[in-house]
Amino acid sequence: MDDRVSPKIKRRPFLAPDFVRAMLAGHSALGLAFAALIYIVCLSGTLSVFIFELQRWEQPDAPHVAAPISADIAAAATRNGYAQSVKDNAAHDLTVTGPSARSPWLLVNYRDHETNVDGAWVANDQGELVARVATPFSDFIGNLHMHLHLPRTWGLFLVGLTGVALLSSLISGLLSHPRLFKDAFALRWGGSKRLQEADLHNRLGVWGLPFHVVVSLTGALLGLSTLIVGVLAMAAYDGNSEAAFAAILGPQPGPSEVAAPLPDVAAMIRAVEAETPGATFTNLSVGHVGHAEQLVSLGISTPQQIAFSEAYHFDGDGRPRGVTGLENGSVGQQILGVLQPLHFGWFGGLTIKLIYGLLGLGLTIVTHTGVTIWLARRRDKGRAVPGWERVWSAVGWGQPFGFGVAAVLALAGQSAAVILAGYLVACAAALGVAAVAADADKTTRALRWLSALSFVAAIALHLQTRAGRLDDVMSFGVDAAIALAAVLIVIPALRGSRRALSAA
Amino acid sequence: MLAGVLLLRRSWLARPKAGRSVAPAGWSLIAAGIVAAAYGAGGKLGSALALLALSAWGYAAVAATIELRRGRQNTARDVAMEPTERPTNWPRAIAKSLLAIVLAGVASIGLGVAFAVAMPMSAPDRIVIGGLLVPLLWGGGMAWTLCDAKLGRATLVLLAVSAFGYGVAFLPKVFA
Repeated sequence: MDDRVSPKIKRRPFLAPDFVRAMLAGHSALGLAFAALIYIVCLSGTLSVFIFELQRWEQPDAPHVAAPISADIAAAATRNGYAQSVKDNAAHDLTVTGPSARSPWLLVNYRDHETNVDGAWVANDQGELVARVATPFSDFIGNLHMHLHLPRTWGLFLVGLTGVALLSSLISGLLSHPRLFKDAFALRWGGSKRLQEADLHNRLGVWGLPFHVVVSLTGALLGLSTLIVGVLAMAAYDGNSEAAFAAILGPQPGPSEVAAPLPDVAAMIRAVEAETPGATFTNLSVGHVGHAEQLVSLGISTPQQIAFSEAYHFDGDGRPRGVTGLENGSVGQQILGVLQPLHFGWFGGLTIKLIYGLLGLGLTIVTHTGVTIWLARRRDKGRAVPGWERVWSAVGWGQPFGFGVAAVLALAGQSAAVILAGYLVACAAALGVAAVAADADKTTRALRWLSALSFVAAIALHLQTRAGRLDDVMSFGVDAAIALAAVLIVIPALRGSRRALSAA
Repeated sequence: MLAGVLLLRRSWLARPKAGRSVAPAGWSLIAAGIVAAAYGAGGKLGSALALLALSAWGYAAVAATIELRRGRQNTARDVAMEPTERPTNWPRAIAKSLLAIVLAGVASIGLGVAFAVAMPMSAPDRIVIGGLLVPLLWGGGMAWTLCDAKLGRATLVLLAVSAFGYGVAFLPKVFA
């Protein structure tokens, strides 16, 4: 973090000035190297907090089911999901996710890693599959955040490395900020651009610090887990990563191909709910479903927890195989349980998500202003780099424009490949705008307008293509949020255009 | 929580000799808020909610303190500390990147896996805490490597740490 310091230091400073300057140099280098990646991951992560709301926006006629569902409904959804997975040649791993504070949908997913076929359905309150999940924009945002649309293993690693770089920036930022507390409320707006950007960068960074540490640490761990467990497996599990994962996650299904009847999941749910006061069904998964060594993992949640649920494991014939301990197990098990909900803000209702959205946007702005401070510093010293100023403007404002284009293509029913191509073309077009614009301000203004227009086009297309089936009030809420974003994005561009006109 | 943030604001916006600081009282109220939330909503959930509230109130207090300026009117207090200007070139930049990204990563994974293999804890605790150490150590190593002008020192330390980590992690297998 860049910062203001008093030139008259009366007491011996806590951090030596030479150390602070060296940290600032490292902070700048790291920020510049990873800025674009961190920015994309943070912005897509902010949207990912609202992934369930985006799904409801895309598919507003999907049925809502009251939470929690009964054991019989869960069993019906399991039976129907299995029958459909057999039809789709994807009967290997089956998951039923009940409605919760996160989403009112009863979801059934299945996947066969051998045939590489999967399916996702929304079920009604009888557990009957009524519609395939068709949420390509939500999928686009989620995949961008998790693996940048790269091959999964490489993408996860790169996003994990980005989380490490962000964590490292937080460490170096704190150590290069000697007036961390004294300046914690100073926000000087207007006048020197460098001072304004530095104040915004530091204030958003300091007050959002607990959140920033949590999301970067959990994100880095989620992204790097395959690599870490791979090395651990070589050291202690004879190279068997599945065995290493099983040591953390609990029992895994066996490989037997002998056919077996579906397990009686309703009886298992009733047994766990009877033993655990206040517990309600959240989700279930059946590994190697319909075979002799199938394994049922029930997700049962209790109040006042961050973890989605506790995982109770059963053999196909109903014999208990243990509990993972995600809610009340050992320290490591509880950390495992809170990783994902803490990372995405999915441990409460909409209020928690809105605060996560605000803090996520704050982190995105911290990343963006980090580079603008560096650019302004160079300009102040008479070493301006106008080309890079325009490029950074294009990187920053090319993302909302790209998201708007992706949303339009998704709502128009295009395939995932076309949506990704549209997003990449929009990002390239943003760089094209930077190449022809006279300066960074004009680049920003043009891209703000393009972003706002793409948002308006998305709203119009949403209302037109979903006309007559806008049953979910959330879809109007998302439209309103997009409209608000368009207005907030375009107002500074409008003011800038007026200033430019009056100056001319 | 809000009262604590407001007391901190009052303390930190005051002139240096404007009487007794109320910052300790502000910190105490914030700590009390976290404890109360943990007591009322459960340890994990309550403390998470309290820290979110702290960030949100902090943002609100900063927004309420905004100082609008016209033109460049920087005071002595606004003068920024400058980063160290170091002569650099492409080979040095590439070497630094390799140290910060690759070698710091190798060393931190070695230490994390050593923790996961050797610590006297249950398997889930060893593995998850060891895994959590990796990004923390990697991030710390990255920050230190990038601020340290002496490449040789950083290289030696990271190599030594790597040797120690992988030694602890793999030697039991070698001698088994």
